[in-house]
Amino acid sequence: MKSSVLDGPVRKNLVFVLPGLLIYAAFVFVPILSAVGLSFTSWNGVSRPEWVGLGNYAELFGDARFFTSLKNNAMLMAFYCLIPLIVGMALAAMVSSIRSREQLAIRTLLFMPYIMPSAVIGIVWQWLYNPAFGPINQGLKAIGLGALALPWLGDFTWALPAVGMVAVWYYFGFCMVIFLTGMQRIDPSIFEAARVDGAKPGYVFRRITFPLLLPEIRIVLLLTIIASIKSFDLIFTMTRGGPANATLVPNIYMYQLGFQLSRYGYAAAVAIIGALLIFAVNYVIHRTIRPRDGA
Amino acid sequence: MTKSFTRSSLCALGATLAAAPALAADLPVWDDYSYEGQVAVIESLIESFEAANPDVEVTRTQRTFDDLALTLKLAVSAGDGPVVTKVNQGAKDMGTMALEGMLLPVDGYISEYGWDKMQSQSLLDRDRWSEDGKFGEGPTYGISGLAEIVGLYYNEKVLEDAGVELPLETFGDFLAALDKVKDAGTTPIAMGTAKQHLALHLMAAISQAQIDAPNRAELDDLIYGRGGSWETEGNLTAATLMQDWATGGYFFDGFQGISGDDAVQLFIAGQAAFLTSGTWYFGDMQMNPDIHFMAVPAPEGVAHPLSVGGVDLAWAITSLAADQETQDLAGSFINHMVNEDAAKAWAAAGYLPSTSLPEDHGLELSGLLEEGIGVWNALNANDAIGHYPDWSTPTMLKTIDDNTPLLLAGRQTPAEFLALLEADYESYLATMN
Repeated sequence: MKSSVLDGPVRKNLVFVLPGLLIYAAFVFVPILSAVGLSFTSWNGVSRPEWVGLGNYAELFGDARFFTSLKNNAMLMAFYCLIPLIVGMALAAMVSSIRSREQLAIRTLLFMPYIMPSAVIGIVWQWLYNPAFGPINQGLKAIGLGALALPWLGDFTWALPAVGMVAVWYYFGFCMVIFLTGMQRIDPSIFEAARVDGAKPGYVFRRITFPLLLPEIRIVLLLTIIASIKSFDLIFTMTRGGPANATLVPNIYMYQLGFQLSRYGYAAAVAIIGALLIFAVNYVIHRTIRPRDGA
Repeated sequence: MTKSFTRSSLCALGATLAAAPALAADLPVWDDYSYEGQVAVIESLIESFEAANPDVEVTRTQRTFDDLALTLKLAVSAGDGPVVTKVNQGAKDMGTMALEGMLLPVDGYISEYGWDKMQSQSLLDRDRWSEDGKFGEGPTYGISGLAEIVGLYYNEKVLEDAGVELPLETFGDFLAALDKVKDAGTTPIAMGTAKQHLALHLMAAISQAQIDAPNRAELDDLIYGRGGSWETEGNLTAATLMQDWATGGYFFDGFQGISGDDAVQLFIAGQAAFLTSGTWYFGDMQMNPDIHFMAVPAPEGVAHPLSVGGVDLAWAITSLAADQETQDLAGSFINHMVNEDAAKAWAAAGYLPSTSLPEDHGLELSGLLEEGIGVWNALNANDAIGHYPDWSTPTMLKTIDDNTPLLLAGRQTPAEFLALLEADYESYLATMN
């Protein structure tokens, strides 16, 4: 077998990796380490940071607003992960049975929300939800359902689901495309054999399609859960965490603490906890959702 | 071919650079003038400053009020911010920056250019911070170009259609007018709480109208961090009225989901009878000739009610003006922004300048601006310009924003609401002592 120059010792290959590594370190490692360091200080963004050890973390665990943000984030996960996953899978099953030309058009249309910047989507949906002149409430009033024309983004009960539904609209097309790709990967002869054996569609989905789509389900869950914990732009543009913290999530809280209240050390502690949460949830998914073939 | 093209391009570029007159100074300026009418005025003022100082190039950065607050401190501390900037008075921005040495005192320029003759001491006090962090005393860190009054806009036609007799003389007349408008099927008060601070302005305007100017010391002490209480009779009245109006249908239907700016546009379109907000909307309000402006009328027993307001964000010099020459240039720029000519430019565009207009200004002022100037002169004559409540502590704006929706929804009593403001204030005072 022909040997490659890359088969040499690591120290010799380091020169090839070094430029990329330096850029990665400058823009990823150093900021992360700085945030970790900052989280052990009290800093107003102007004066000299003051070392407080684990003080910020201790305060965080007694901070009711932080727990409100975590609770809201947990609820948002249903809208970022669960509903798009179910809708995406159902649509993928439907779209996969359509002829290829129509399938391309429908797939493109359903995927389209995902290619738009989420901040733009937030601004557009804020207008759609506007109680005074937004088309949603205008439509409800026009068909005699004025009682349902709520101030969606200003209502304590409905603000979070209203933001969440925009996340569903944003992510379901993405989930659908991933599942479509997964379905194309499955050998058609398996479905053929099941049909010959008289298996009904529900049984085929439960015993064949779903288990064989587990790698895609895992990917979709990983990405959407990361997106839900990272959620900021949609909420910032639509509600800024209001009304009265009804849509507050850790990233919005971090922003408020840092940029509005100048508590950068405490804000960094919120960011670190958020990052640890992402690691923890992803670890659980890695451990619990495993394809049967060990892939 | 490529080499010769590159060589000739470089030569041409070099010749162009050599031919261009070298500018002696670059002056980075940040401001918060983001409405269309304001942008036109500020750009014309910068143009005239550059014409008067041909060796200076002003690089203007326009930011919204919120963006300015977010980025200014970080930019100046990083050494990459403006030399001249607008900065919000109060503990959160100007107070912090002054204490950290990020702003330079402008007292020398006050005497050099006579700013103290153009604006009252009470206005300049709002830009003063002592070395030990006391607001309203010590060196002066800025001066403003525009006056601000948070007052009562009313739509004359809507009120007449509802059978309301004008003018409104007393606070009781105002309350009666609200009921009449509501009975006529129109929204009495334009309100939107999803974004911006209309609710804060309404509450502060009602609350401070309960204070007679000779008794203002208590409010001054509270805002300037000398102590006091938020749990006052006036604040309780204002919070109770706000809650009653919110739950009784006196605001726009669905006001919780409408932003403040949208509520203002709906008011301009004639969708409500009253709006409590600031004179910074004069430019927009002129689109509807039925709209007029007045101070919140006095309750019984109050001769000269306070009106929230004062001045817009102050022009200030940052610590990035490292040498005397740059500082003097910055002082000269600020003078150009607040002198009588600037006042005339703002007035001509329909805005209320903080510097008094010369008597022979020769401008044809809009009706709304005439009303605004009348209110401003009366307030100054009676020492009745109040304060923005959020200036009192760095966190007060957030505390009010977080809790107002709960108050308006009836999930907090007015007393509980005020207790939270009190707690915020006490916590700030504790950090100062």
